[in-house]
Amino acid sequence: MKLQAKYNRATISAAIFVLILGSISYYFLLRYVLIKEVDDALRVEEQEILDHIKAHHNLPEETDYHDQQIHFFPASKVEQRRFVSTNTIDEVEKESTISRRLIFPINVNGKNYTAVVTKSEEEADDMLILIALLTAAVILLLFAILFIANRMLFRQLWKPFYATLSSMKRFNLSNPDKISLANNHIDEFNDLNKTVREMTLKVASDYQSLKTFADNASHEMQTPLAIINSKLDLIIQDQELSEKNMQHLQVIYDSVTRLTRMNQSLLLIAKIENHQFPDAKNLRLDNLLNERLQYFEELIHSKQLRVSTSLQKCEVMMNPVLADILLNNLLSNAIRHNVEAGNIEVKSSPDHISICNNSSSIPLDEKIIFDRFQKAPGSDGLGIGLAMVKQICDVYGFQVAYGFSKQMHAFRVTFN
Amino acid sequence: MKLLIVEDELELSNSIVTYLKSESYACEVAHTYDSALKKIDAFEYDCILLDIGLPDGNGLKILEELKENNKSDGVIIVSAKNSIDDRIRGLRIGADDYLPKPFHLSELSARVAAIIRRKQFTGNNIILYNEISVDTISKQVEVNRQVLELTKKEYQLLLYFIVNKGKVISKNAIAQHLWGDGMEASGNLDFIYTHIKNLRKKLNEAGSSDYIRAIYGMGYKFTE
Repeated sequence: MKLQAKYNRATISAAIFVLILGSISYYFLLRYVLIKEVDDALRVEEQEILDHIKAHHNLPEETDYHDQQIHFFPASKVEQRRFVSTNTIDEVEKESTISRRLIFPINVNGKNYTAVVTKSEEEADDMLILIALLTAAVILLLFAILFIANRMLFRQLWKPFYATLSSMKRFNLSNPDKISLANNHIDEFNDLNKTVREMTLKVASDYQSLKTFADNASHEMQTPLAIINSKLDLIIQDQELSEKNMQHLQVIYDSVTRLTRMNQSLLLIAKIENHQFPDAKNLRLDNLLNERLQYFEELIHSKQLRVSTSLQKCEVMMNPVLADILLNNLLSNAIRHNVEAGNIEVKSSPDHISICNNSSSIPLDEKIIFDRFQKAPGSDGLGIGLAMVKQICDVYGFQVAYGFSKQMHAFRVTFN
Repeated sequence: MKLLIVEDELELSNSIVTYLKSESYACEVAHTYDSALKKIDAFEYDCILLDIGLPDGNGLKILEELKENNKSDGVIIVSAKNSIDDRIRGLRIGADDYLPKPFHLSELSARVAAIIRRKQFTGNNIILYNEISVDTISKQVEVNRQVLELTKKEYQLLLYFIVNKGKVISKNAIAQHLWGDGMEASGNLDFIYTHIKNLRKKLNEAGSSDYIRAIYGMGYKFTE
């Protein structure tokens, strides 16, 4: 949930709660005040009647207006003076009218009467409704204004935060200078920016030193590898060597070769990460695929693989070396992990290439196959070829996807 | 044939010298930038192996110096950085070849032989080995003066064997020579055998002796 939505939800529910509570008490208070007003008017009437009796010693005229009725009833006993709220139903108009009534005893020339003065509350009710409507309108207006003001204020206040967020999203380890965090007049956000700046600098420098270390380590390793290789080349010239020792040497050879390849691959990945292959050219990947298939001819033949191709023109802007590595790694995987007399399908179209192959292995986990040093059980590869493929695709914004269907592993590179 | 090996790693230069001396090259070694400069000023070499990552200077400067003085020494750049920029720069300045570390000594030897062949303007482009003769310009092989039809790979293989005659060459070195880096990673080098078998068969059918010896399944040796 967005911060603003969350904030709005909290403030609006609080406001509604207060509003309901407030309007209920407001209603009762208002009603109380209005009734009191009517009661006061009734008391004035009472006083007028009493004054009249005092002056004239007779009952005043009964009145029966719409909003005020005065009636007198002879009473056998003295009624208690009281205010009553009544609800009379008008037979004609079928409307109920709420009215307030004052009942009080009077004595005219020794005779007891009960005086009933009734005042309609309709006027007060109308006023109540008017006031309620007015209040509601004002409150709604207030709400709307508050909501809009909040929104604008919110947007304004959090602007630096969103700016920071978006520049953090754009942050790229291999190009850490790009993060730009402007100063603003809110301390908290300045603090945040300061922390983010320090953190990214730290991360970038850590990353840089790690990369330099890996780079140097790989470079420094080349020379000892060269020495081991050269010594092996000399040792095998020895005619006294037993067959067993020769076999040991072969294992050493193979291991050195693997180590060399791994080292070179890591160097290559680092170079790709550092964008050290800038020169892009328009390349015909379909032709390159054909070339690569020819290059692997012996391997394909020795495994008796069937290769079916469906190559349409596929032109892509990329560095030729990287294109070679991309196709090389995908094809050599398709050959190496294939079964005896298996199939390879190579396809290209203007917007993608795909390479499918049989294999004895189960479907691979597509979440991790593009990670470094992830390899299928029993694979004799380095576990680095697909990582390199991914890296190259990332550089150019291509999508590489893996799928498994009909007993075939399929790798597909889609160009934009 | 006189070679200069400019290499700061003592053990690597020792290996190179041992191997190349046994192929009857005269080898001199320079371990530093300065001593290399002195040597190229004083002598002429048929081929110079130049490590460009020297501790006291960039080997490419030595190459520039050579070219400025119009020396005709052949130069093979050896570098621990398999960098395309270095390769392009080196070849642009005038190096004849570029060999990334680590390399096989048999490969180095083949590259040296190729450069020396190219540098000799005597038209000596025929390599003889008993009844076999290889013309490195027309890439034609004759056995007892009969032309032998070989595939490109078989030709490369035969030339590699003859240049490294009498030496055991590992399968890894052969794979790298014939296919470059991509193929070694395939894990299985048995497909080399097919090419060896075909070459052997063709040579035998043309009346050549069988010079190719398998050495315990780890490599091959071209010898009488």
